[in-house]
Amino acid sequence: MAATQFVVNGLLVGALFAGVAVGFALIWGVVDIINLAHGEMVMLGGYTSYWMLTLVTGNAEGSPLLFLATIPVAIAVLFGIGYALQRTLVSRVIGTDIFLTLLVTFGASIAIQQLAIQAWSANPRSIQVSFADPSVNLAGIVVPKMKLVAFAGALVLTALMYVFLQKTRTGRAIRAVSQNPEAAALVGIDVEHTRAVTFGVSSAIAGGIGAFIAVILNIQPQMGLIYTLKSFIIVVFGGVGSIPGALIGGLLLGSVEELVAGFISSQWTLAVSFSLLIVLLILKPRGLFGQGAEQ
Amino acid sequence: MSTTDEDSSGVLRSILPPEQVDRFLGTCDDYGWALLGLGTLIAASFPVLGLEGGYFMTVLSEMFLFAILALSWDIVGGQTGYPSFGNMAFFGIGAYATAILTKDFAVAFPVAFLLAGLLAVTFAAIIGIVVLRLRGHYFAIATLGVLLVAQQVSRILDITGGASGKILLETPSAETFYYLFLGVLVVEMALVYYLSGTRFGFVLNAIRDDEEKATAMGFNTTYYKTAAWMLAGLFTGFAGAAYSLFNTFIDPQTAYNGAWNVELIAMALLGGSGTVAGPVIGAFGLHTIIELVETYAVGWQLVLLGGAVIVTVIGFPKGVVGTLSEYASQMDYYKHGGMAATDTDDQEVNADE
Repeated sequence: MAATQFVVNGLLVGALFAGVAVGFALIWGVVDIINLAHGEMVMLGGYTSYWMLTLVTGNAEGSPLLFLATIPVAIAVLFGIGYALQRTLVSRVIGTDIFLTLLVTFGASIAIQQLAIQAWSANPRSIQVSFADPSVNLAGIVVPKMKLVAFAGALVLTALMYVFLQKTRTGRAIRAVSQNPEAAALVGIDVEHTRAVTFGVSSAIAGGIGAFIAVILNIQPQMGLIYTLKSFIIVVFGGVGSIPGALIGGLLLGSVEELVAGFISSQWTLAVSFSLLIVLLILKPRGLFGQGAEQ
Repeated sequence: MSTTDEDSSGVLRSILPPEQVDRFLGTCDDYGWALLGLGTLIAASFPVLGLEGGYFMTVLSEMFLFAILALSWDIVGGQTGYPSFGNMAFFGIGAYATAILTKDFAVAFPVAFLLAGLLAVTFAAIIGIVVLRLRGHYFAIATLGVLLVAQQVSRILDITGGASGKILLETPSAETFYYLFLGVLVVEMALVYYLSGTRFGFVLNAIRDDEEKATAMGFNTTYYKTAAWMLAGLFTGFAGAAYSLFNTFIDPQTAYNGAWNVELIAMALLGGSGTVAGPVIGAFGLHTIIELVETYAVGWQLVLLGGAVIVTVIGFPKGVVGTLSEYASQMDYYKHGGMAATDTDDQEVNADE
């Protein structure tokens, strides 16, 4: 029985991991960059939502609808930050040694993290959302309502991004750039702009998920690296550039972590999931579902 | 970081690339050894000349420490082309090993120091077998993960003192550490400098330039990679082993400092990776700046570090030494008369062969 509860918890949190990882996979697939500042986008999204709510209510508490209203703001702000990050920094190192691109995004990650500490202190914060009846009980399994909302929110954001990539003109341009930047440029696509939009979209979804993380877990300036690493694990697991792969990878990682936390100790979650990654990298370096950067 | 051309005559050059060899502070010759010896003498005489006033001594010791770390990173990151984001894992292991051995088991410091180095090498060998099979993005993130896991484990275990760490009060004098850090740095510089003129050093560079060609030439690249990785582990472990007592305090945050890991990469790049002098110059330079920021703008040093990394990577990817040596080889080319000023290296190299 306990195991079922852990798995349910894991799936609920795993959808959030998956949402973050989808953005990470998008940049990796399209721009061929590992964005080590991706976790910071999650953090900034959480803080955007937190401060919006504080601005309206005076403290970071509010009704579910009021909280949901802050999500578009977080998405918009993070889109701008992501777009600017690509245009000002990342575009300058594209095509050089991949190690340099890693270092630039790592540098950005440290700078953002430390600026956040300077601005908001290192204390963890969270958003409180009021529900008359906080949990629902389904056949003996307790599910907090807010986790359900966050789970649904993460799935909706991921689905929206999938639709955006498949159906819109910009989405098609992004896929074209991911397949062949030179050919895309030849048919009149502004490759630099498209890459920046990709970065913006990736950061926006991370920011939106960050807001949900602020509700069900908590946020603090140094949280980013863990989310970046988890995204990496998920993307390697699911295959670079595969959105369904990232979704399944996220749900699996969430379940594994909750099971480890439940049966061993929450302190061991990182070590276990990371060891799994190493084993996977050696056995199946291309991931379980992907063959490189195709989408 | 640079690659040679792809034609078949380039195979020999990818094993023996004169352009890269030249970057070791102008090939492995007597001038380099004399310079190293002179620098050592000057540095060693500072305490004798009465400059042992606490602050100055501490700052210099820290500079030597960072130079050791940056140069160790460069053996694998710059010379072999496997950019590690997890070198601080060896540092943490060395640091905890001496802390635990001296405090809990009353082992004498010199013995603990050597044992810590041995432990770091063993750890490097085990980890290396696994992570050195990966390349590029995967290697970088895997090493970062090793660092984070090591940090997490040190937070959980009892023997490491958990999250609150260990306080070490019975430590040798500041002068001891000054000479210890200086000694390790000089031995490491001499070793890397010597190796740069041997087959071992050339194969490392060949792996960086084109690992498949190096394998095709019949070199067991796994052996060379792992040996380089263990060498880096040894010196990083020694640095950590001395640091915990030097600092009189150790906890998971300081032992496995992820920001330091970026700092030492920035140092190697800033000075010029793939060279002997580069990482050391970079360590001295960047540490001076960081020390100034720490004094005059407390709390902003990591923001500065992030900025410094970005500026270095975008502005001077070849670093101080790389840029200088490029300039020098261009001057040399003009002097010995040639055709157009482009592709200097290739023309020169063919003439030499």
